Amino acid sequence: MNERPALARLLAGDRRAVAQAISTIENDEPGAADLERALAPHLGRARVIGITGAPGAGKSTLVNALIGEIVARDLRVGVVAVDPSSPLTGGAVLGDRARMNDHGAHERVFIRSLSTRGHGGGLARRTDRIVDVLDATGFDVVIVETVGAGQSEVAIADIADACIVVCPPGLGDALQAIKAGILEIADILVVTKADLPGADATWRDLADMLRMRRDARDVPVLKTIATRGDGIAKLADAALAHADERGHGRRLRRRRDMSAHADRVARLAARDPFVRSLGIDCVDGGEGHATTRLRVAAHHVNFNGGCHGGVIFALADAAFGLASNSHGALASGIEAHIGFHVGVQEGDALTARATEISRGNKLATYRVDVTRDDGMLVASFSGTVYVSARANEAPAATTTPASGRA
Amino acid sequence: MNKPLDPVTLSPSAAGERWRREYAEQIGRDRAIENRSGITIKALYTNDDWDGSRHDADLGYPGQQPYTRGIYPTMHRGRTWTQRQLIGLGTPAEYNARLLSLIEHGATAISLIPCNSVFRGYDMDEVDAELLGTCGVVVNSADHMHTCLDGVDIARMSCAMNDPSPFTLLAFLLAVAKRRGVPFASITGTSNQSDYLSHYVANHMFFRIALPGARRILADHVDFCTRNVPRWNPMSVVGQHMQQAGATPAQAMALTLATALQNVDDCVARGMDPKTFLPRFTFFFDISVSFFEEVAKFRAARRLWPRLLRERYGVDDPKSLRFKFHAQTSGVDLTRQQPLNNIARVTVQAMAGIFGGLQSLHTDAYDEVLSCPTEFGARIAVSTQNILREEAHLTDVIDPLGGSYYVETLTGQMEEEIARNLALVQDAGGMYAAVESGLVQGLIGDSARRFQAKVENGEQTVVGVNAYGVNETADDRPPVQGVDDDAIRAHLAAFAAWKAARSQATVVKALDDLARAANSPAGNVFEHVVTAAEAGCTHGEICATLRRELGFGHVQAIV
Amino acid sequence: MKIVPKVLVTKIGLDGHDRGSRVVAAHLRDAGMEVIYTPPWQAIDAVVKLALEEDVDVIGISSLATDHRIVPKLMRALKHAEVDGVAVIVGGIVPDADEALLVEAGVARVFHPGSSLDEIADYIRSIVPALRRVRSVEWNEEAGA
Repeated sequence: MNERPALARLLAGDRRAVAQAISTIENDEPGAADLERALAPHLGRARVIGITGAPGAGKSTLVNALIGEIVARDLRVGVVAVDPSSPLTGGAVLGDRARMNDHGAHERVFIRSLSTRGHGGGLARRTDRIVDVLDATGFDVVIVETVGAGQSEVAIADIADACIVVCPPGLGDALQAIKAGILEIADILVVTKADLPGADATWRDLADMLRMRRDARDVPVLKTIATRGDGIAKLADAALAHADERGHGRRLRRRRDMSAHADRVARLAARDPFVRSLGIDCVDGGEGHATTRLRVAAHHVNFNGGCHGGVIFALADAAFGLASNSHGALASGIEAHIGFHVGVQEGDALTARATEISRGNKLATYRVDVTRDDGMLVASFSGTVYVSARANEAPAATTTPASGRA
Repeated sequence: MNKPLDPVTLSPSAAGERWRREYAEQIGRDRAIENRSGITIKALYTNDDWDGSRHDADLGYPGQQPYTRGIYPTMHRGRTWTQRQLIGLGTPAEYNARLLSLIEHGATAISLIPCNSVFRGYDMDEVDAELLGTCGVVVNSADHMHTCLDGVDIARMSCAMNDPSPFTLLAFLLAVAKRRGVPFASITGTSNQSDYLSHYVANHMFFRIALPGARRILADHVDFCTRNVPRWNPMSVVGQHMQQAGATPAQAMALTLATALQNVDDCVARGMDPKTFLPRFTFFFDISVSFFEEVAKFRAARRLWPRLLRERYGVDDPKSLRFKFHAQTSGVDLTRQQPLNNIARVTVQAMAGIFGGLQSLHTDAYDEVLSCPTEFGARIAVSTQNILREEAHLTDVIDPLGGSYYVETLTGQMEEEIARNLALVQDAGGMYAAVESGLVQGLIGDSARRFQAKVENGEQTVVGVNAYGVNETADDRPPVQGVDDDAIRAHLAAFAAWKAARSQATVVKALDDLARAANSPAGNVFEHVVTAAEAGCTHGEICATLRRELGFGHVQAIV
Repeated sequence: MKIVPKVLVTKIGLDGHDRGSRVVAAHLRDAGMEVIYTPPWQAIDAVVKLALEEDVDVIGISSLATDHRIVPKLMRALKHAEVDGVAVIVGGIVPDADEALLVEAGVARVFHPGSSLDEIADYIRSIVPALRRVRSVEWNEEAGA
């Protein structure tokens, strides 16, 4: 297939390229970091609408109706639908998309299903970066539908510009099922299947509960009958207006608002040739902590066929170095130790998380846990640095905001 | 004990103890056996399990409460079961040829199964041509129905039309009757599979309009037929789909009874008197190869249904309490491997249905699982019924298994299991609500998975598949019934020409009237379907109009 | 990262019997795969669009009642949309003569009644790595066309 470079196709909105970009990020493939960097200048246009609520609330049916409404306004809409994965097998049935059949075939609609793969918060681990792909490739609206069963499924609030929480009609029981956490994050509340008995009572109960909330934000409580299209236009108006008012790209601002430490870590990581040569990515960092990731490739393997210990050490050491340098003072490692617990194979994805144990004027110690994606702890690393008086970056570098991700 | 024991002088309980002991000693490792419905099956049933003191309560006599032994006093000895073979293939002309051939070979009633395109509510020119006529006959108009039934005396022969809401096939049949001068009062037959809920839940065939619309049209249909086609059975509640989708026999029966109760509720809510429509309620079941379980299932249902009607609606008119049913041998038990084995399977299934007291039977052809049956296979299926009746003399004795310790015990246990499952559905608000919420689909899916697991791990043997297999090549398999593509092409061309020659004004007016009726709660939609059929409207046009007015709806994708 | 196969289980054509496809979908999930499950009667264009957007490894078509006759249409639609690195498998009732035609049209494998669920899962797992290699993308801007 002779064609333009993938990136060019992607930025032109080619459907296949968009899907492949999402896969690269979802599966943490090499090149994900490059991709995210390339997309960065194009972010911030899309309005991101989050939809959550207990299973059975009618989320997918509502999303289906919303898609139709938005498409009718001549807009391009991307949808990310998240379903839970089985804690036992890791597999999942991604069934949300099937309920969006009415509009899923429309040319201006793009739907992607994700499973949580064990990640908490109701989202898949890289959902916000996947939303970035849709944002950067020209979708006007991105809808993220999540699992919303309990108090902790609130990660959607960090990503969405407007957060819709969906409640089915029912008497007190249904509301008991809606934990406080979910209600707190709602920018808009919706009572679905409003033609069923109990809908009015639910509507009233929600309004009452809102009055008891801490912040006095004006949260509308709307009613919809998605199968008939009732209330959908009003909901779309409310969601888009809210996003416009609060500004598009709440998730981006949050990233940028991360501490200077995080930016510093990102900058430092970007200028480490050895770490990059091994294929190590820094995926997170902040004051006194850093996380690096690596997928064990063929060239990381030793003569016994397993991952070379030096590679694992390097991964842990990279996190250690970044965490210890995150404060801005140049820190040099003076002692490090690693213990290997479990064999690591080619293809395994490893994550090293460095956390600060202690920090004084001259010395600081860190612990790094290296885990495999199935949760297994494969190695434990500890290290000590000597903290010098010098800075690890030139002054100019600390004033310009980092481009790309932390 | 060294002395030989004389059984005659032993008391019954001592003999029983002796048997138990010897059985335990000699059986080696005994297996815990459960039938498909989850009921534990013992090695031996005696008068400790069931005895004649329960005769009046459990058995009674044929044609009387509790109806266990049969709904009529004479049962098959008086009138043999109807041999109603499902026929459907290709074009109306091909259907007619097959029908006449099978009648010659012993089929005594008609059952017409339409093409999948008709199932979905489309005319032949709206779907991929490759899919036409492969599993059923392409009937889109009254003219087509006329060709299907050419040379058949519809005043004498019972016609089952497999076609629920909006029942266009029946409408076409009535149009043909009118044309031939046959009064509606002479038309006998059944709106087979008129049960929209089972289609929605289990096999998603005949899914043309949203649930609420289908529900309403069914009630309209019952109303119209009760008044205008008095010998027609408008209600056929289906257990076959759910059992084929994986429900256990007891579950499938329970869900069917729940659907029937829902339908009665809906008709009563419309102001109809149960005595007017209950006599024309019929049921349609699957018969699996689990022989005794099926016999017990049917006997249990025959006893349970009248009790439910009495309790819920205070009905005691005998004509309303009869559990009339048609049954079909289960295609799900048939195998592609060593297909001739299917003849044996169908025979066992048919016998279970006959001993279960059915009124009407369809036996599958052995090549059913390979494609639409060939004439050769279809003839063997009919012959099987002839052999059972005339060589094995299965019509000589009414309820021959009645009084068997095993069969009576199992009938009681199946009745309990059916009632338990029924209560689950009733607690969820009735069948309609339970289907809307997905509860029913979940139950069926779980059973399907459990059964599949048993087959995969070898616990349930399937001859030729997970045991007793042989290497087979394509040559070992019988030739399949193909579709005559030329005939289909000609059928399409003729259809196009016929449509162009119709009076558009008449058609448009009939469809407008139909749409208006759909939008008015007091209108009888089926009545207008009948008028539309006479006016030359096609099946697709009628369905499209109703879809537009009543909504298409969605099948839930539940895994 | 561990490969998690992504499989579409669907039905095209007119038939609605989906007991088989449901059982297969549940088994693949239990085998650790991500399964996109749709109701029956999917339009061919919708299937192609879904396969593209979801970046699936395998499209599993369940056909119990001659709907396999339009699978060649699906294969042509996939080719037209330049979908590469995706395998199409068909499960259900397929007469021998038609199986040859399907394979000729590009279907990777036909599973007949009696195929074990593990057989299907194992087959999918075995072909996914190669499919992923075909679908992998070089995002580096310096890479040429």
